[in-house]
Amino acid sequence: MRRGDPQADGLGSPAPRRSLRERAALLYVAPAWIAMLAVFAIPLLFAAYLSLRSETLTSFLPGRFVGLQNYRGELTSPIFLDALRTTLILMAMALAIQLPAGLGLALVLHRELRGTRLFRSALLIPMLLTPVAVGLMWRFMFDADLGIIGWGLEQIGLHRIDWLGDPWPARWAIVIVDSWQAIPFVMLLCLAGLAGLPDAPFEAAIVDGASRWQVFRYVTLPMLAPVLLVVTMIRVIDSFKLFDILFILTRGGPGTATQTLGMLNYNVGFNFLATSRAAALGIVLTVLAMPVYVLWVRVTGRSR
Amino acid sequence: MRTSRGSRSGAWFAYAVLCVATLVALFPVFWTLSTSIKDRRDTFVNPPKIVNFDPTTKNYRLLFGNPAFVRVTLNTFLVTAGATALSVSVGSLAAYALVRHRRFPGRRSLEATMVIARAVPGVVLIVPLFEIVTRLRVYDDLWALIVIYAAVNLPFAVWLMTSFFQQVPFELEESALVDGAGRLQVLRMIVLPLAAPGLAATAIFVALLCWNEFLIPALLAGERSKTLPVFISGFISARNLDWGPMAAASSLAIVPIALITVVLQRRLVAGLSAGAVKE
Repeated sequence: MRRGDPQADGLGSPAPRRSLRERAALLYVAPAWIAMLAVFAIPLLFAAYLSLRSETLTSFLPGRFVGLQNYRGELTSPIFLDALRTTLILMAMALAIQLPAGLGLALVLHRELRGTRLFRSALLIPMLLTPVAVGLMWRFMFDADLGIIGWGLEQIGLHRIDWLGDPWPARWAIVIVDSWQAIPFVMLLCLAGLAGLPDAPFEAAIVDGASRWQVFRYVTLPMLAPVLLVVTMIRVIDSFKLFDILFILTRGGPGTATQTLGMLNYNVGFNFLATSRAAALGIVLTVLAMPVYVLWVRVTGRSR
Repeated sequence: MRTSRGSRSGAWFAYAVLCVATLVALFPVFWTLSTSIKDRRDTFVNPPKIVNFDPTTKNYRLLFGNPAFVRVTLNTFLVTAGATALSVSVGSLAAYALVRHRRFPGRRSLEATMVIARAVPGVVLIVPLFEIVTRLRVYDDLWALIVIYAAVNLPFAVWLMTSFFQQVPFELEESALVDGAGRLQVLRMIVLPLAAPGLAATAIFVALLCWNEFLIPALLAGERSKTLPVFISGFISARNLDWGPMAAASSLAIVPIALITVVLQRRLVAGLSAGAVKE
């Protein structure tokens, strides 16, 4: 729509302008602008303001200006560093499972064997289910004493695991539930990417006698790389946003084993009621994710 | 088509993978449903009762007999419907302007805001939003929830609709404009009907996101405007946790979504792939 857009030259050409008048365009975007200012820009600016003060929900006294003290306090605290580490660990675990699994399922579905459509429908179901309900149900299945997952482990000769009571099992539990909902999404985007690939390179590779693995490694994977990059970025951003499942399953516990930056931010703001410290953490979290935003804009800009 | 290229001998392996994956995908949903129709003494036993139990509607009767639950369900419907309508109408105006005007002042910053908005974690926004909402005295207000839900989902809605509007050829609008129709009329009578499938996909997505939203109502809604996800999450803190009603409430939240996902699959897939893997 950008290229070859014959703009009216203002010399009174009889054909109607393709382009909206500037004033109309501004009028059309105004409601959206106002709404986004109200829920994104103003809260972020307000958070920046709060972060420089000493507001809490526990004190009746108004806060005062404290400069960068909240930032200094948060950034040097071991709790913050621990939460940062947890965020990155969970992110790495999630990506290591979701990308191969999603791509693998997409490749299998892309073979279009009989019944593929049925399998695809079934596999997509978890994707859009209410995360709170999903988390609660998995919590029921993860139960250390009577959960069905533990029973399943016993049937194949393993021991029950205290999923939500031990640090590493708790991390795995979070990643498993997150992956259960995210793999269908990754699979869907990979399928769309695969469907958009041209046939010729595959035919050429087969004519040249390439093995299946070689076709995947040297033809499919490089051609799919842009899609995989977009998927990875979306998942990285989503792992910064991960909240509902975490809140339902562990609330950051046991101890601080699954306390990500987002969970820490919530706990500081609404359990410790330290509004200003939470606001400072929020600003830090936003800034930390900034490289991903920049990459996102670059990649989506290029693909247009 | 692709089958001819792959070896047939690998097909059994493919089916095995698909069967295992489908089992993993569906079992938790099945388990939620089956727990929701179990009596308390059958829910939490070792070995688990997978099919050998007497089904009961007790849990559902308990839920619907609870006025709080009825109110919560009504709230969730109202907020979802209101926010979706608001988001799609405000979003379609903005998307139309973005498609039909190359460079109005502020276009770039609008686009940048939309990208950043989709990446900012909700937790970051909720701390200041909580302060703002309490200072404006609109805490626990359905209208406030509708406006906030709509605004939060707006970047996504605009983004999706932009890609759908781009597929509407200008030539169709042109003849109406020659006949003297106004831009808004053209948008309403020509662009929106032509982009209807895309619009529907956008509306479904926004509606599902609103239906599932947890953080905003958890902090900005009290007893009066509580929504279903907050109600469901309340089962955790309840003493003497009873999984039956919890599973029943969860089933009521997720079964409609599972059905929508299956029935409207093609539309959702088109929407997601248009949004994420543009060309």
